[in-house]
Amino acid sequence: MGNLDIALKNAMNIDGAIGAALVDYTSGMTLGVAGGTGEIDLTVAAAGNTDVVRAKLRTIEMLKLDDEIEDILITLGSQYHLIRPLSNRTGKGLFLYLMVSKSRANLAMARHQLRTIEESLEL
Amino acid sequence: MSRVDDLPRRTRAQSGTLPPPRALPQSLAGNPALPYPAISQELSALRLQIPGVHGCVLGGVDGLLVTHNLQNGADPDDLAALAATMYGLGRQVGSRLGQGEFQQSTVRNAGGYLSVYAINGEALLAVIGTDSINVARLHLHAPTTAARLAELLDDVSPATS
Repeated sequence: MGNLDIALKNAMNIDGAIGAALVDYTSGMTLGVAGGTGEIDLTVAAAGNTDVVRAKLRTIEMLKLDDEIEDILITLGSQYHLIRPLSNRTGKGLFLYLMVSKSRANLAMARHQLRTIEESLEL
Repeated sequence: MSRVDDLPRRTRAQSGTLPPPRALPQSLAGNPALPYPAISQELSALRLQIPGVHGCVLGGVDGLLVTHNLQNGADPDDLAALAATMYGLGRQVGSRLGQGEFQQSTVRNAGGYLSVYAINGEALLAVIGTDSINVARLHLHAPTTAARLAELLDDVSPATS
C-alpha cells in the first residue's frame, strides 16, 4: 500500500488541502485517509459522498449517456470538495476525495494535481 | 494375562450426585414488559435512514426472537438464531485473542449482507441489507441505534430480574 500512502500524502501537499481519502463506493468504506481535523471525520465524509457518487452514476445511466464521471466539484461556503473516480482498471469502484480550503487553494491547480495523482495511482 | 480389568471404567453416576442444572438468566424473548412501540420505532428509523436495509431483527443472545420488522419473507426466528451464532463465534474470537467484548460481525454474500451488532450483554441487533447497501453508513448508524435500544432494554431489565 506504499503507493496509496504516497498518493494520499501528495494529495495533502496540494495547497489548502484539509483532508483526503480513497473510498470504495460499492461499500462506502475507506481504503486510506490523510489529514482531516477534530471536527471532520473523513470516514463519515466518505460514507456520505459514496451516496453522491452513486446518485450521479445512476443518473448518467438513466439518461443513457454512456459516459463516466471525470470529477465532481462541490462548493461550500469555505471549502471545495473534489471527488475523482479512479479510471484505471485496478481502481474500479474507487474514488479519491479531497477537501480544500476555499481561501487558501487554487481550484484549477488542485483539480489538475488531483488528476495527476489519480493517474499515477496503481493499486 | 488379560489386563482388561485394570483399565479404568466409567460407572453410572448415582442419582443425587449429579450437578444441579445450570441456572440460566431469564430470556428477553416474550417479556411483555419491554417497550415494544419504542423498539419498533428505532428499528424502522434505521431502515428509513439507510437505503438498502431490508429489515432488522432484535434477538436475545440465547437465539430467541424478541421483535423484528422484516418484510422480505425471511424467517425472523431463524435470523435471531443465526445472529446468536455469529455472536457466539465473535465472542470466542474475542476471548481467544484477548480483544474484549463482541461488538459487530458482518457476513457478505453474493446477494447481500447480514450484520449483527451487540446491544448489551443480553440482546443483539441483526440488520439484513441488499448487496448495494452503503455498509460504511450502516456501521456508522447501527451502533447508535444499538445504544438507544440498550437504554430502552436497560430501563426494563432491573424490574424483571
